[in-house]
Amino acid sequence: MIIDLKDVNKTYPGAVPLHVLKGINLGIEQGELVSIMGASGSGKSTLLNILGILDNYDTGEYRLDNVLIKDLSENHAAELRNKMIGFVFQSFNLISYKNALENVALPLFYQGVSRKKRNQMAMEQLERMGLADRSHHLPGELSGGQKQRVAIARALITNPKLILADEPTGALDSKTSKEVMQVFRDLNKEGMTIVIVTHDPEVAKATDRMIKIEDGLIVPEKTKIITSFDNKNV
Amino acid sequence: MKNPIFDIDNWHEIGATLSRNKTRTFLTAFGIFWGTAMLAMLWGGAAGLKGMLMRNFDGLATNMAVFDGERTTISYKGFNKGMKVKLNQNDLEGFRNRVPHIDASSGIKMQTGNLAYNTKSKTGVFIRGAEPEFFEIQLPVVYKGRLFNEADVKERRKVVEIGKNIANELFGDEDPVGKFLSINGIYFQIIGVLGQTGEFTIGEKMDDSVTIPQNVMRDAFGLDNAIDFVMFTAEKGYDPNDVKPDLMRVLRSNHPIHPDDENAIWFMNVAEQFRMVDNVFLGVSLLALFVGAGTLIAGIIGVGNIMWIIVKERTQEIGIRRAIGAKPKDIIMQVLSEGVVLTVIAGMAGIVFATLVLFIVDKATYDPLTGSAHFMLMFSHAIAIMFIFLILGTAAGLIPSIKAMKIKPIEAMRDK
Repeated sequence: MIIDLKDVNKTYPGAVPLHVLKGINLGIEQGELVSIMGASGSGKSTLLNILGILDNYDTGEYRLDNVLIKDLSENHAAELRNKMIGFVFQSFNLISYKNALENVALPLFYQGVSRKKRNQMAMEQLERMGLADRSHHLPGELSGGQKQRVAIARALITNPKLILADEPTGALDSKTSKEVMQVFRDLNKEGMTIVIVTHDPEVAKATDRMIKIEDGLIVPEKTKIITSFDNKNV
Repeated sequence: MKNPIFDIDNWHEIGATLSRNKTRTFLTAFGIFWGTAMLAMLWGGAAGLKGMLMRNFDGLATNMAVFDGERTTISYKGFNKGMKVKLNQNDLEGFRNRVPHIDASSGIKMQTGNLAYNTKSKTGVFIRGAEPEFFEIQLPVVYKGRLFNEADVKERRKVVEIGKNIANELFGDEDPVGKFLSINGIYFQIIGVLGQTGEFTIGEKMDDSVTIPQNVMRDAFGLDNAIDFVMFTAEKGYDPNDVKPDLMRVLRSNHPIHPDDENAIWFMNVAEQFRMVDNVFLGVSLLALFVGAGTLIAGIIGVGNIMWIIVKERTQEIGIRRAIGAKPKDIIMQVLSEGVVLTVIAGMAGIVFATLVLFIVDKATYDPLTGSAHFMLMFSHAIAIMFIFLILGTAAGLIPSIKAMKIKPIEAMRDK
């Protein structure tokens, strides 16, 4: 299992402590294309942050590729994020004053990869996304779909174990959304594990497995075991 | 990771972020620029002002003193108080024989007289009767000819040194050296044309007066053996004040001065004046440093402030960087190095600007006789300013960079 959560709890402290995750149990296998759905306030963003090692949890266990992710130092967390997870965000989160190529290459900068190698690898990823001719454009000069594909290229460049996408189509029209989802499906076919957090049923339908979260708990799904079983047999 | 200083990519990052908002970068840089420039200009300016003031004392021995008889203030040995103590040749001799640690000394007689050469004349000219050592105490500029010496004194030659301005007035283009000048109807041969670089003088400046050997002056004009004052320099390693007790003993033995009467002798220690100037300018330098440091700190706070705003503005960007693998150290290094690069470039520009301004002021106040007033920034001071600026610039960037480090990727992501 690439993702293995056991009884994960998270409470936000405050005047009225907010118990957001109330014992999450979740397993995601290598090569799955999964969506996590939930209304706002259901705890799906918190879950995404914990999955992405962007936030800590209080009790329970989270194993990412068999590595226990708990109480990590900032440095170690940054390193794991860099090497294991590719992020795709709703608002693209590209750096506005860097062109597409530089944006894609940035994760490798923090790995200490040389500029030449970095740019070469970034170019390969852009080609894969069909954006080779846009490599020297700034994000402001790209369409929404193009920006998201640049962001996906950036997520892929470190060759991660897992892609975490947070509402990746939230800022896109329906046609572009479909294109982006197709990109995810294609990547999944190549063997990439992809977890998409969304509240859009259309997006969820385009994935192989839907995980619903409600009030801090995973809603049990009858189809869950079968889906993952099917997936394994593909 | 590689050493960030030698990593060209880091410099690319810094350059990119600094050039992103040119106005802001420029304004911050200007704050630092002005801070360093002010500090450097004040520091160099204080040195220049001191140089300008010291030029007034140019040519004057620094450990020199002057003394003269005043009126007594205490009755003594049957003499009423208020009696004028008149110095004479005996005092001078006693002073030379019995007071140790004297280097050069000269008794001076003063008088005004009328000069005449051919058809030209000049009235009311200051005549200084001096001894050859006078020229060691107050170094003149010899434009032409020579200074009178012991041989002239011994032979009682009627020789005269005339001031540069007098030479111009009476001789014009003619060479005065060797010519005979009438002083109060008595002819003296001109042996030199003098002037002085500094402003210090008793009587008239050498440029506007004539100087003759003191004994010749007495003989020629039929004067008594009184002298008006004595100038002397103390030996190296001694202050004129050190010889004052011995001097007073000599004068008391020659004149009825009460042992407690300190006011009967006028004693001016020029060395003390020099020290005072030094102290005043130490004060000026400290003030300049204080004001300059204030400007500098204002500049530094500006840097910190701007860096803080930059960090706030870039919360999202820093969050993205953190999400895709930047370590806290990477973020601190980035923010700090931006501050340091800005500080170094703007600081150097400030120092260059100040040096240029000081150079112009130095040229403007240049005096052909005494030279530069030294309106300049010492290299070590420039280095010190840069160093202080670098440390403070780093410190100012530290707080914002720590704030930047603490940005959690999730918080940044929410900032949509």
